[in-house]
Amino acid sequence: MVERADYVTLEGVSKIYNPGPAQVEAVSQLGFSVRSGEFVSILGPSGCGKSTLLMMVAGLETATTGAIHIAGERVERPRLQTGIIFQDPTLLPWKSVLDNVMFPVHIQGLDEAQHRARAMSLLQMVGLTDFAEKRPHQLSGGMKQRVAICRALVTDPDLLLMDEPFSALDAITRDELNVALLDIWQRHHKTGLFVTHSIREAVFLSDRVIVMGRRPSRIVADVRIDFSRPRDVHVQESPEFTRLCTQLRDAIESQHG
Amino acid sequence: MANRATYTSGIALPLLVGGLALLCWEMAVRVFHVPVVILPPPSRVMLEFFGPRFAELLQHAVPSGLQIASGFVFATVSGILLAVLMAYSVLLRAALQPYMIALQVIPKIALAPLFILWFGIGFSSRFAFATFICFFPVVIATLTGLRDTPTEVLRMCQAIGASEAQVMWRVRLPFALPYVFAGLKIAATMAVIGVVIGEFISADRGLGYLILYCASRSETPGVLAAIAVLCAIGLSLYGVVAWTEQRLLAAQRGER
Repeated sequence: MVERADYVTLEGVSKIYNPGPAQVEAVSQLGFSVRSGEFVSILGPSGCGKSTLLMMVAGLETATTGAIHIAGERVERPRLQTGIIFQDPTLLPWKSVLDNVMFPVHIQGLDEAQHRARAMSLLQMVGLTDFAEKRPHQLSGGMKQRVAICRALVTDPDLLLMDEPFSALDAITRDELNVALLDIWQRHHKTGLFVTHSIREAVFLSDRVIVMGRRPSRIVADVRIDFSRPRDVHVQESPEFTRLCTQLRDAIESQHG
Repeated sequence: MANRATYTSGIALPLLVGGLALLCWEMAVRVFHVPVVILPPPSRVMLEFFGPRFAELLQHAVPSGLQIASGFVFATVSGILLAVLMAYSVLLRAALQPYMIALQVIPKIALAPLFILWFGIGFSSRFAFATFICFFPVVIATLTGLRDTPTEVLRMCQAIGASEAQVMWRVRLPFALPYVFAGLKIAATMAVIGVVIGEFISADRGLGYLILYCASRSETPGVLAAIAVLCAIGLSLYGVVAWTEQRLLAAQRGER
C-alpha cells in the first residue's frame, strides 16, 4: 500500500534504450517518493537521464522495469491531472496567448467561461494581461515560457512536472521566472517535480533536492531545503543557502571520479 | 516611406526590366529585319489581341483554363487527403511512400499518350492527366509538412490528452501550411504543362491546339499570342495560390 502522504512514488524504475548488446541504460533502478504538496527538484548533469525520468512520470515514456504511481494509481499513459512544462514553450504560433493557454481546455472540452476566467487570472499573475491577444512571435522567450506555465495550470492539475523549463533563457530572465514560479507555487499549492541542472535554482525553489549522478544514473543525495515559505529572492543571500549549494555541488562532483 | 520603397523595388522595378526587354526585342527584330515567321516583334503579337484572332484566343482559352483549374483543384483536394491518410497510418505510408517518390521523379509527361488512350481525346483525358502530374507534388509536400511538427509540441498534445484527429486538424495541418502551399505552387505550374501537353497530343480546341494550328500555318504571332494567354492563365492560378497563402499566414500571425 502507498502511504497517504506519498503522492508520487517510483519503485525500481529503469529505462533501457535499444535492449541488447548496444543497450543504453538511461535510468537505473531509481526509487523515491514525493509527498503531496511537496516541491522536489531533480538535479543532475546533462545526460544523466533526469528528463527521461520526468517523461516516465508524465506517462510519455514507459519504464523498462519498475513502477510509478501517482495518487495510488499506476502511470501507464499521460494523465490529465498532471500539468507539464517543457524546455521549449511549445506554443502554437497561430494562436493568441489566451488561446494557447486555453488549448488544453478546448482539447478536453471543458467549460469555456469558467476556464477563460481562470486563464485570464493566471495571465494576470505572470504579468501578461496586456498580451492576451498577442501571438507568440510577438513575445520574448521569457514571456513565452510564462504562457506555457499558465497553460500547464489552466486545468488546475494536482501535479506539475517541469523539464528544465528555464534552461534556454538568459540568466536575468531565468531569475525572474524563478521568482514568478515561486509566487505561483505559494498561491496554488500543488505537488511539483522540477528537473534542472542549476544548483541555485533547485535550492531556491524546492522543499527537497534529489541529486542524480552520471549514467547509469542513481540517486547520490537527497537533501531537505528547510527555508520557510513564502520565500523571496533574499533567501539566496543567506549563509545557509550558500552552504546547501556547496553541499549539493560536492554531491555532484563526488560522481566525477 | 517603407511601403513606397517596397512598391518601387517589388513592382516598378520588374515592370521596368520587362518593358526594357520588350523594347530590345522590338528594336532587334526591326534593326536586323527578322522575318515575322521567325520572330515577330512584340507590337505585332499585341495586334493579335485587337484583330479577329482575339475571339479565337478567347474561345480556346476557356476549355484550357477549365481543365487547368479543375485538374489543379482535384489534385489539391485528393493530394492533401492522401497525405493526411499517410500521416495517420504508418502502414499506408510504408506501403506508398516509395512509389510517391518514384512517381515524383519519373518523367510523367511520357505517360501523356497513355491517358489519351485510356480517357479518349475529350476533356476527361486532359483533366485526368493534369490531375496526375499535379497530384504528387501536393502529396509529397503536404506529407513532409505533416511530419515536421516539432516533437515537443506533439508531446505536449499527448500530455493534455489530445486525440489523433485533434492533433491532425488543430496542430499538424496548421504547422504544415507553408509546405502545403509550396506544393500547391509547383502543382499550379504543372497543371498548365499537363493540359498543354494533352492538347498537343490530341485535341480539337484549347490553347495547345491553337499553338500547333498556328505553327502549322506559320502564323507565328498567333503562336506567341496563345503562349501569352497560357502564361496569363498560369500566373493567375499561381497568384490565387500565393494570395491565399498570404491571407492564411497573415491570419495565423494575427493580422487581419
